Amino acid sequence: MEESIRNISLPMTKEVACGLKLGEMVTVSGLLFTGRSRFHIRAIENDLYPPIDYEKINCFFHVGPVMRQEADGEWKVVSCEPTSSIRFERYGADVVRKFHLHTLIGKTTMGPATAQALKEVGGVYLSKIGLSGNALKGQVKKVHEVHFLEELGKTECTWIYEVDHFGPFFVAMDAYGNNYFEDLAKEAQSRMPEIEKSLGIPPGYDYTEVNA
Amino acid sequence: MIRRETITEAMYNAIRLGATKMPPDIRKALQKALSEETDPMAVKHLEVSLRNADLSEKGNGLVCADTGFPMYFIHAGAAAQVEGGFGVLKSCAEEATARATEECFLRPTMVHPVTRKNPGNNVGPGMPKVEIFFDREGDGLEILAAPKGGGSEIFGTFYRMMFPADGEAGIKKFVIECIKDACYAGKVCPPAIIGVGIGGTADLCMSMAKKAALLRPVGVHHSDPEAARLEKELYEACRKLGIGPMGSRGINAVLAVNVDVAVTHTAALPVAVNAQCMVGRRWIARIDGKGNIDYTGEMR
Repeated sequence: MEESIRNISLPMTKEVACGLKLGEMVTVSGLLFTGRSRFHIRAIENDLYPPIDYEKINCFFHVGPVMRQEADGEWKVVSCEPTSSIRFERYGADVVRKFHLHTLIGKTTMGPATAQALKEVGGVYLSKIGLSGNALKGQVKKVHEVHFLEELGKTECTWIYEVDHFGPFFVAMDAYGNNYFEDLAKEAQSRMPEIEKSLGIPPGYDYTEVNA
Repeated sequence: MIRRETITEAMYNAIRLGATKMPPDIRKALQKALSEETDPMAVKHLEVSLRNADLSEKGNGLVCADTGFPMYFIHAGAAAQVEGGFGVLKSCAEEATARATEECFLRPTMVHPVTRKNPGNNVGPGMPKVEIFFDREGDGLEILAAPKGGGSEIFGTFYRMMFPADGEAGIKKFVIECIKDACYAGKVCPPAIIGVGIGGTADLCMSMAKKAALLRPVGVHHSDPEAARLEKELYEACRKLGIGPMGSRGINAVLAVNVDVAVTHTAALPVAVNAQCMVGRRWIARIDGKGNIDYTGEMR
């Protein structure tokens, strides 16, 4: 089944990003960099970020991998499960604009501000499919560099991975400001009155209010 | 007399096995969920997750890279004797956790909440969490290790102090809304196991919710008929949300809704929700009075 999934070379071009559809499954091949909360906060609040060529290494993978250093000094990935990107929404749009990112990979989704930034630069957000950290680690062909390891530790620091047919992921945010989960959330919300009725919750029910 | 090093060994292996194996009741429940889902994305989420657990079971990684909060729940027999006294259980847990982290079975995830400094071994004030119940016969110890992922804890924790007039309708509305929000975009990694605490003090209420989510096999209902009725009604309601695995379109937002209750103040109606993610990691070490250890994923 994986064979039929489209593979995209990194760095992803704006043209390729603009051609991706919500819900489409893809894999990616090439170089990417990792980071989590500390990357976002430091890049925006302190203008402090790894000195890498963001035009070439343009895919931001939201992850805190489990890493092991072998006897020869080489770093190996034990497991790398994408982390919840929605946590970074406060800084997401600024980071996308600052590094002109065309590809974000993570778990869950991001909010409207990041969607707007992705629309401006022509970028997409790819979300993980299931729990896949063990398959993903096998697709990391080489760990090229690590930045801020001492300061931030193995989980929050930035690793540079070379990946091959990495994924699959699905397009959760396209390059036009649309979010895969928006319609789903609306559908769930629209079912609530019926569900509440089935649970015996009276129409218009509200909790007791004790504040002014 | 159970020796200190036996306890440390049992804790280390239990948390290591917890991080690398999927409990049998969880696997069975996920397979049932897979048989029910029809949306291609929902199916794919479950297939990938089950395959991922297979890979880690074969010694190739972890069930999930976020090994999260290290927690140990210990049931002690009434006649159990521990070398150095029960006070050593905390330091045994610290040693076991640090070793499992050093060997990359746990990710170094615990940091200071304000400075964000990472000691690198998952040990610090309050962690690992150790809770002891003196509720068993015999002279053994049963240690359940649960590495609990961040997604379920961070996005799946809710508390509301309601009032008697808010009634059962308030309880149900709160729980179903929490579940809908927690499952949005797959935040808590659905299908989740939802623990609900009703009554007690605020801390007891949340503690009941957490234990209901973590310490009960999937499919077992509460012995209190009122709690069991709420569990069944809420479970059926969750299946109508249209939310499936990892927030996709589907049926299985939850694998179970587990309720626990405690008496509370006559003026109060506290309700807490705590979610466990789809992989429901926990593994058990049973130590008998002679110091023999058995490991199992089957709960009693």
